[in-house]
Amino acid sequence: MPFLIEHVIEAVFALFTLLLLGNLLLVGVVIIRRKRRQKFFQRMDALREKYGPVIAGVLSGGMAYEQGLRELREVSGPGSLSMLERLCLEKRPASAEMPVLGRLCEDLGLVKIWQERLAGQTDKTSLREALVDPPGWVLRVRFLSFLIRSKSAENLGLIRHGPSWPLLVKALEDPSPDLQAVAARALAAIRHPGSFPALVERFHKAVLDPAPVLSVRTLKSALVSFPLQSACGLAVSLRHTNPRIRFLAADVIREMVEREAGGNPDFCLDQENGNAELAALFLTKLAFDVNPDVRAQAAHVIVCLPDPRSGPVLVGLLKDSVWFVRLHAVRSLSKPKFASHAGWVAKALTDSNWRVREAAVRALRAFGPAGLDELTGRFLETRDRYSQEQIAEEFQRAGLIPQLLARCAEKGRNREAAVLSRLVEMGKTSYIISLLDLGEGNAALHKEFLRKLGQKAVPQILHWLQPVALPASGSGARSQAPSTLAPKRPHGKG
Amino acid sequence: MELWRQIFIHGMNMFNLIIISYFFIGNGVYTLLMVLSLATVWVYNRRLAYQGMDEIRESPVTPPVTIVIPAWNEEQIILETTDSVLQTDYPELEVVVVDDGSTDSTLERLVEHFHLVRMDLIYRHDLPTKPVRGFYLNPDVPNLMVVSKERGGKPDALNAGINICRTPYFCTLDADSILEPDALLRLMRPVIHSPVNTVASGGIVRVMNGCQVRDGRVAKVALPRSRLERFQVVEYLRSFLFGRTGWDLLGGTLIVSGAFAVFHRETVAEVGGFSHDTVTEDMDLIVQMHHWAVKNKRRLKMSFTSDPVCWTECPATLKMLGKQRRRWQLGLCQTLWKHSEMLFNRKYGLVGNFSFPFHLYVEALGAVVEFLGYFMVPLAIIFAMVPATLYLLFVLLSLAYGGLLSIGAVLLEELTYRRYPGYRDLASLLWFAFIENIGYRQLVLYYRFVGVMRFLAGSRRWEKVTHVGVAQ
Repeated sequence: MPFLIEHVIEAVFALFTLLLLGNLLLVGVVIIRRKRRQKFFQRMDALREKYGPVIAGVLSGGMAYEQGLRELREVSGPGSLSMLERLCLEKRPASAEMPVLGRLCEDLGLVKIWQERLAGQTDKTSLREALVDPPGWVLRVRFLSFLIRSKSAENLGLIRHGPSWPLLVKALEDPSPDLQAVAARALAAIRHPGSFPALVERFHKAVLDPAPVLSVRTLKSALVSFPLQSACGLAVSLRHTNPRIRFLAADVIREMVEREAGGNPDFCLDQENGNAELAALFLTKLAFDVNPDVRAQAAHVIVCLPDPRSGPVLVGLLKDSVWFVRLHAVRSLSKPKFASHAGWVAKALTDSNWRVREAAVRALRAFGPAGLDELTGRFLETRDRYSQEQIAEEFQRAGLIPQLLARCAEKGRNREAAVLSRLVEMGKTSYIISLLDLGEGNAALHKEFLRKLGQKAVPQILHWLQPVALPASGSGARSQAPSTLAPKRPHGKG
Repeated sequence: MELWRQIFIHGMNMFNLIIISYFFIGNGVYTLLMVLSLATVWVYNRRLAYQGMDEIRESPVTPPVTIVIPAWNEEQIILETTDSVLQTDYPELEVVVVDDGSTDSTLERLVEHFHLVRMDLIYRHDLPTKPVRGFYLNPDVPNLMVVSKERGGKPDALNAGINICRTPYFCTLDADSILEPDALLRLMRPVIHSPVNTVASGGIVRVMNGCQVRDGRVAKVALPRSRLERFQVVEYLRSFLFGRTGWDLLGGTLIVSGAFAVFHRETVAEVGGFSHDTVTEDMDLIVQMHHWAVKNKRRLKMSFTSDPVCWTECPATLKMLGKQRRRWQLGLCQTLWKHSEMLFNRKYGLVGNFSFPFHLYVEALGAVVEFLGYFMVPLAIIFAMVPATLYLLFVLLSLAYGGLLSIGAVLLEELTYRRYPGYRDLASLLWFAFIENIGYRQLVLYYRFVGVMRFLAGSRRWEKVTHVGVAQ
């Protein structure tokens, strides 16, 4: 049969008709979907209104548990399990409510269903029922079942269901990366000591696998959630031949230590919190590790060890040849309780790397008044330009200039005046001038500033002085300004 | 004369073949992307049920992020943007607003609103930029810094922000945009959970026109009043929900909108930051990172996620729309030309063999083919080379296909996020999706065609779209 233009026209027409039908079909799907969702949310809202107070009452203890349970068991109809699940878990419960929530989910039969789903067992519902309830049919489609299994793992983690930890450990080896990640998170929420070694093992695999399916960050986050007492389970990682495993394990312990130290300024890693084996590992091995990343992380742990060896080891890290090891060593000391180490930290102010200098300045600031005193002294004494610049930056960023300026106006405050004078010499005048402009009514401040610093012939100060000297300025320093300006006029802007 | 006639006929036949191939390749790939996106977004939406946002928020291993906002003459909206960013729900966040030599009161408004004071800080630059004039901070708002610099263009302002950024990741945000509170958390999720180093993560940009904005937040989502803006709502849905999602699934991401995206600072600095070579610096950076990964044999990932939302003002006038689309098209051509060695280069895998050629043939050259088609095919009818019926049917086919793709985008929206709750809004979206191909498409096509012509003429002009604060 010859190929005619009419055939092309017919084909195009057929395609056009098909596409038009496709358009109509999509519009229909959009509308049906909208209607179904609306119906679902209406039902959900009705249930929420009726049973929300019941759940809240049971969790807070305002309603008798048995009565609440009885009322919640009344929830029926298509998709009732999903609805109950939503009702119970939509609000994040307080820690105190967690045991009641766990019991409620168990008594409602939800925990059993989650466990079965996590284990990959299909719900014992008819296909018809399953089609009405989305989790029902999704679970029956093999390649989509990970969605429901992951959600079940998440739910078990949300209610911190301790007895489910072996199932979750098993899920760490599931082919689905989603389920692995959720299982790791759920284990972190449950924090059962028995699951820690499994997580460590999975963590080793993730690091060593050239194409990992599970993010190391997810596992690290899970390990960090465990109490510090579990850290000894990482000893095997700290001794591992792979430098990245050693680094990440040291990093996990650092995070654990910092979390504990965050709520307790006097925290130290003693026998109660850690163990002698870990302390020895950090002091004798990790502080001298060939991998600088490991040494850097070790500093943060060593600083919390109540061991006489920790001081010299830390000093060694402060002098390390690699800049970021020095950086971490300085950062590890930036807490008020280490103020006695100010001398060592101050030495880092002249470090060749600016990040170390910056960390040193911030550490000294964190020491409080004593640190600030040290910082001021160094600022006035040092001839190192980089160090001066760094300290000047911190004075500005930390908002110390208003204090300096206010004190400068007081009698006998020559040190503050000297700092301001040095700042003016360095050209760091913007903050000072904006404060002087704001404090226009403060005649004493203007006068004192002019008396002590007016002779600094930097253009910015002269520029500021000009309007002050004008008759209309109304500043108390007006009489002083022209005499200050006069000899400097050739250098100024006019 | 007969020779010329023969040449004309051959020329027309060639062109008709190009048109037909463009139609089928373009729409074929778009259909593939739509089908993939429908499946991906549906699955992704189910996966959101167990994504553990609280865990990301509370985990000490969640990396800190700096949001960099380049601003040039944005006095109308800069305060809303900065306010919204400061309210972002993220554990460790810094905000750097780079005033790129504005001639209006952008800087003054920021200084006044946030009680900033000028400070003389150290400017260390890994990436070269125009000189910085001053730093503005308020010690009581330690996570906000405003930097004033000499005008150097958007890439220069972004590079200045990167120089100042101390965090391992930074997020670029256009000054005319408003972030949803949890948008950054959601955007960082693929970075945190991916086992591969994710160096770029893009989110969805939605049209803010018509929405109610209160205290730096989109308080009520609604469709804009004007038809021009409504067409853009549908267009953004199509572009982000199935265009970018589909390419992400295939691993062929070439564009991550710099209006709202997270980047790995070290990798961006390694590739030289945002380049001044093109007027679409975001696309150029992504392609540059593909280059860098191949050259350095690194396994990198660039991801797109459809649930972190950034609301932005779309052009409300034809003039502004023209400026925006010409620039996008010019930038696309410049970027593809600059990295032309990627074309069908096996080293670049799917990006070089599928995504790059598609963008070149359908997105860049397609504008010329389609534009000329509107003139050449009628010519072919006049010269009796194509039956008028076939032409008419072909036009209808093209409209129906376009409608299918746009309605598909609305369906995706309905299956997943349903940001437009009213039935009227839904009906309006469907209607505008259907009629988008009659008039609006041709208008945009004209701007794109001009963009290609400007590229051929060697233009490097960055056309600024000014914003008037169209949100209610």
